[in-house]
Amino acid sequence: MTQLQIELDGVDKHYGAYHALKGIDLAIPKGTFVALVGPSGCGKSTLLRTIAGLEKVSGGALRIAGANMTGTPPRKRDLAMVFQSYALYPHKTVRQNLTYSLRLKGIPRAEADRKAEEVARITGLEALLERYPRELSGGQRQRVAMGRAIVRNPKAFLFDEPLSNLDAALRVQMRAEVRRLHDRLGATSVYVTHDQVEAMTMADHVVVLRAGRIEQQGAPMELYDRPANQFVAGFIGSPATNFVPGRVTADGHAVHLDLPGAPCLAISGATPGRPVTAGLRPEHLQPCDPGTPGALALPVAVVEATGSQSFLVTDTDPALTICLAGRSPVPPGGTLSVTIDPGQVMLFDADSGDALRP
Amino acid sequence: MDRLKGNALMLAGILLAAIYLFPLYWMYVTALKSGTEIMAYPPSFWPEDPTPIFGEVWTRLQMASYLKNSVLIAGGTTVLVVLFGTGCAYAMSRVKSVWIDVALFAVLMMQVLPSSLMVTPIFVFFNQIGLMDWPRGAVILAQAAKMLPLYIVLTRAAFLQVPAELEEAALVDGNSRVGAFLTIMVPLARNGILVTGVLVFLQSFGEYVYARSMIGTRELQPATVGLQSFMGPNSSDWSGVMSYAAIYVTPVLAIFVLLQRRIVSGLTSGALK
Repeated sequence: MTQLQIELDGVDKHYGAYHALKGIDLAIPKGTFVALVGPSGCGKSTLLRTIAGLEKVSGGALRIAGANMTGTPPRKRDLAMVFQSYALYPHKTVRQNLTYSLRLKGIPRAEADRKAEEVARITGLEALLERYPRELSGGQRQRVAMGRAIVRNPKAFLFDEPLSNLDAALRVQMRAEVRRLHDRLGATSVYVTHDQVEAMTMADHVVVLRAGRIEQQGAPMELYDRPANQFVAGFIGSPATNFVPGRVTADGHAVHLDLPGAPCLAISGATPGRPVTAGLRPEHLQPCDPGTPGALALPVAVVEATGSQSFLVTDTDPALTICLAGRSPVPPGGTLSVTIDPGQVMLFDADSGDALRP
Repeated sequence: MDRLKGNALMLAGILLAAIYLFPLYWMYVTALKSGTEIMAYPPSFWPEDPTPIFGEVWTRLQMASYLKNSVLIAGGTTVLVVLFGTGCAYAMSRVKSVWIDVALFAVLMMQVLPSSLMVTPIFVFFNQIGLMDWPRGAVILAQAAKMLPLYIVLTRAAFLQVPAELEEAALVDGNSRVGAFLTIMVPLARNGILVTGVLVFLQSFGEYVYARSMIGTRELQPATVGLQSFMGPNSSDWSGVMSYAAIYVTPVLAIFVLLQRRIVSGLTSGALK
């Protein structure tokens, strides 16, 4: 069994009457890249700050590399953090920013300088060592923030939405770069983001949070294929999953969707007669020729073409999004026939939202 | 039309500044006049025969001792205020609570009370605990108490501008709370601290009420009290008094002019951003 680098046991956090974290259990093995993802206000940043020691836990225990660190101040935890605003020290040069933590540890100036130069080479900052943060571009500042974390060789890296201030193209580039650095250093990383694409593409293990609770955690594709509830199904995947109300037939072997002209889907395993919510991913609705048995004819209201993909929004209640490769075969106002593979339909309890399929 | 309006406003500005600066001008001019010319009517606006007597006044009125005491009191007050006020201002900028607002209000209230009102209870209290044996120290303490509110309020604004994330980054980087305060927060609030410190120094340099009431010995009195002792109904040495005032005020003016850009930006930075 691999060594656990960060462990949280029933961590609670209260701000006065507000319950920000509710019994968080999380075990992060050494060398894993974990993403904490969720809508704003879900507690993901609070959780990260709790791990860093910037917030005191109200209950539960936190262990780092096996040692109990529940009440330890941040400076004794040996974790490095990359902030959303980068938090570079404005009155220090890049070199001084990189060596600040080393000098605090009592490492001699010459050795600290050597380490800073090595990290500058890895992150491509060699030419900028004597500059001040205000003289750098957004991407360069981001690299300094990364470098400042790397130079310490910490027990784990904590990232608080580090890419959200970059423009879209740079963000995609840095995404790959962060992951490459993680692999190269054999590091343990905890990465907070509100962008599920970032979480899915970068992480080994994704933790979905909502209102201070872990909704589900697991490998990215596990969350995509088998979401534990309707919230996770809606949050993971882009564009978002379509949810259609339906009802299990009396014999319990099929589900009838609440859409005009919708076929019965042969799905078993649910309680007969129960109201359910079906989750249909936009990319799982397959266009077909009109008249195909079991096809569903949908009036198309909007077509959004990106070139490689087209997103169609239907004029139904609820509106469905359909994701097609290439160009749309029908213009807005036309009718598109699609088939639904029952094996790809996700079923949720209409009341609790919990997943119904094994 | 707009240009005319601009010119008119400019003229009004110059006129107002002239009225405001007239006493300063009169001080310098009178210092250079002879005794009869000072009393002449109509008054002359420029001395006929400028005779600077600064050197003579410096020794005759024993200004070295007065100015030394002024610098000592102003310096001591500034050191005390910066030492105690900086930490307080930082704490009040970081803790968010109703009680901080209450404390700020109380601090500002103290600023409102005039020295002439406070001096009697302070005198009685200092006398009881034996502080009056060190009269200059007593003035420093009283003046520091008077200046602390202003310093705290203005420096707190400087600290509020430093993002909390920088301090958190320092904590995660392995620094203690005190270390982060000294190596990150104080250097970044440096401008505000400097400017407010200079203001405190200048204000204390001109302090009169406490020194007048608490310091009896001439050798320990600051320049403000000394100046007053040369003025009175029977005083005739107007050029001497004005030379004294000029010597006293010119360094203050010089500091202010040299630092005016920083002082103004330091005072408004909290409000504008």
